[in-house]
Amino acid sequence: MTKINCICIIDDDPITVFGMRKMLDSLVTYNTMNTFKNGKLAIDGIKDMITDVQEIPEVIFLDINMPIMDGWQFLEEFIALPITNKVRINIITSSIDSTDEENWILYKGKTHHTVTYNHKPIRKQEIAEITKVA
Amino acid sequence: MNDFELDNYAVIGKNIISLFKNSNPEWKHSIAECLKGLPKLTLTESYVDPDGNKKWFELKSTPWYEESENIIGTIIQLEDITLRVLTETKLEKLEIISEDISDIAEIGFWDYNLAENKMFWDSRTKAIHEVPDDNIPNFIETSNFYKLGYSRNTISMTVNKAITNEVPFSEKLQLITTKGNEIWVIVSGKPLYKNGKFYGMVGTIQNINERHLSEVKTKENQRLLRTLIDNLPLSVCIKDLESRKILVNKSEMEFCDVTDEKKIIGKDDFNFFDKKNAELARKDDLQVMRDLKPILRKEITLKDEGNKNGTFLISKTPLIDTDGHAYGLVSIRMDITDIKRKEIELRKLVDVTSSQNEKLINFAHIVSHNLRSHSANFSMLLDFLTNEKSETEKERIMKMLVDSSDNLLETLDNLNEVVHITTNTSLHKKYIQINKKIAAVQQNLSAELDQHNIEVINTIKNHVKIRVVPAYIDSILTNFMTNGIKYRSPERDSFIRLSASVEGDYTVLHIEDNGLGIDLDKYGEKLFGMYKTFHNNKDAKGIGLYITKNQIEAMKGKVTLDSKVGKGTTFKIYFNDKD
Repeated sequence: MTKINCICIIDDDPITVFGMRKMLDSLVTYNTMNTFKNGKLAIDGIKDMITDVQEIPEVIFLDINMPIMDGWQFLEEFIALPITNKVRINIITSSIDSTDEENWILYKGKTHHTVTYNHKPIRKQEIAEITKVA
Repeated sequence: MNDFELDNYAVIGKNIISLFKNSNPEWKHSIAECLKGLPKLTLTESYVDPDGNKKWFELKSTPWYEESENIIGTIIQLEDITLRVLTETKLEKLEIISEDISDIAEIGFWDYNLAENKMFWDSRTKAIHEVPDDNIPNFIETSNFYKLGYSRNTISMTVNKAITNEVPFSEKLQLITTKGNEIWVIVSGKPLYKNGKFYGMVGTIQNINERHLSEVKTKENQRLLRTLIDNLPLSVCIKDLESRKILVNKSEMEFCDVTDEKKIIGKDDFNFFDKKNAELARKDDLQVMRDLKPILRKEITLKDEGNKNGTFLISKTPLIDTDGHAYGLVSIRMDITDIKRKEIELRKLVDVTSSQNEKLINFAHIVSHNLRSHSANFSMLLDFLTNEKSETEKERIMKMLVDSSDNLLETLDNLNEVVHITTNTSLHKKYIQINKKIAAVQQNLSAELDQHNIEVINTIKNHVKIRVVPAYIDSILTNFMTNGIKYRSPERDSFIRLSASVEGDYTVLHIEDNGLGIDLDKYGEKLFGMYKTFHNNKDAKGIGLYITKNQIEAMKGKVTLDSKVGKGTTFKIYFNDKD
């Protein structure tokens, strides 16, 4: 089983979070798993991790459409953080808006982190493929 | 002897030829012929006297016969003809000049002698009438050349009057030539009298057809030009170097509110416009005349000019003389106030259309996103269920499926409501007393307000009314006040303050709180978005403000917010009083 130190799920839908967690449990082993209900809570949480010199997530599952701070706003702030390790950010969305896909290409080019774009519903098989250290 | 400066005594016994050093050799010949008996040969001779005047003499040689008829000499007679020669020369010159003038001006000469009842026409007069050389009509017939009607009547009357009153005449008339050509002439005449008795008439006739036609043409062109500039939908004005108006059209007079041209000619813009506007116009005038380059279609908006207010396109073109200097300018003003207004209306319409279009696309994405979210959950949960062994886990998944189904139904209800709000254009708006509605909502929320010890301060006067769809105002007030409760600050005593103001066509409701506040730059636009809503999730914001915003916009209003983190948030809800 793949071993990941720290996984992070950012989604405002508890059912999606439940599903993700369930699939990940059967696919990988991990030390910690953090879930956040929107981008704002997530970025604040990650900033705290940096301050407290905790483990930074190696894989992040990121929803786009969330209240307060959406996925793109989170990404904008996240890539500005002083994280030298390569983090894998898997965007998982039910959006079919083409501007979201354009945004993904834009952010992918702006950062040294790995950014992937995936549609909901996401299958266990796909999760397996995208859940690894970047 | 004096005339030729000859010495009295030195002359006697000298040969006459030898006395005149510069004499004509014909003299010698003439004297010789005369001695042979051929008499009276005349010769003219010129001579310049000491004062430099040219003198003319006529010499006549006559043979001198003795008794036996033998020629013994010649008598030479000298006559000073200087005066005669000069007169003849002058006459000749005058004749030439007169002929030339007649030729150039096409003036013919005519002469009528009553005694002989004879009419004389010179070649020019004949040419004007286009009659053959040998066919001159009599005095009476001449009037038949004039065109029947005004011209014929005039010539008869005028000639009669001239003879009776002993006055000359000159008339501009139309005549028809022998060849049938209709031409304009000026015919002049002067009756002649001897011992108070009329004996004839002299006069001239001049062909002025081309001149007349070109005058007519010029007048026609002038009239055409005038008609044209007066009927242009533009104000036209010609100005001199001092920017004084020297020619204006009707439209310019109407614009300057004058009916009499005299009240505008010679005046400048300072007489008709506000000083500031006149100065700007003068500046442009000077620039055009200095640079000799036109200003074309410059847009100018006039303010503080009463009836003259509006937006105009002004073109100014310099008038340049043959030396290349400006002597004035043509100013053309086009009123585009209406066009401008329509343009603004059109732009507004385009803005409305594009914003509606944007909203529609946005809505389509929201619908698709929300429905996909739920279907994705169903799909995922069903997948888990089929593979799940544990009964307790199965039950948990089943419960989630039921929740998910409820959420989908609620989402559909919400979307339905939004569709209903945005598509229901024939909203029935009524004036309602806003304080009544606030009191009702406050009553509904009293449990929560009391629980969190939130004070509601309402400074709105009881008479304030707003034009709204009654059902919407309940939802609007509830949502904004709930927002104030939800985002209260735990660090201080909370309040929600309501006030009203008037801004243009809008009555504005201010809902202010001293809560957490939000970073508008980052999260402002998220506030009115549509998200997944769940009753069991107490932190979720859901669809509330999204529907509220749609309701406000459906009533032709708008909503803005002002917020500072740690200070609080103020929503301004604009209710349209007019539309």
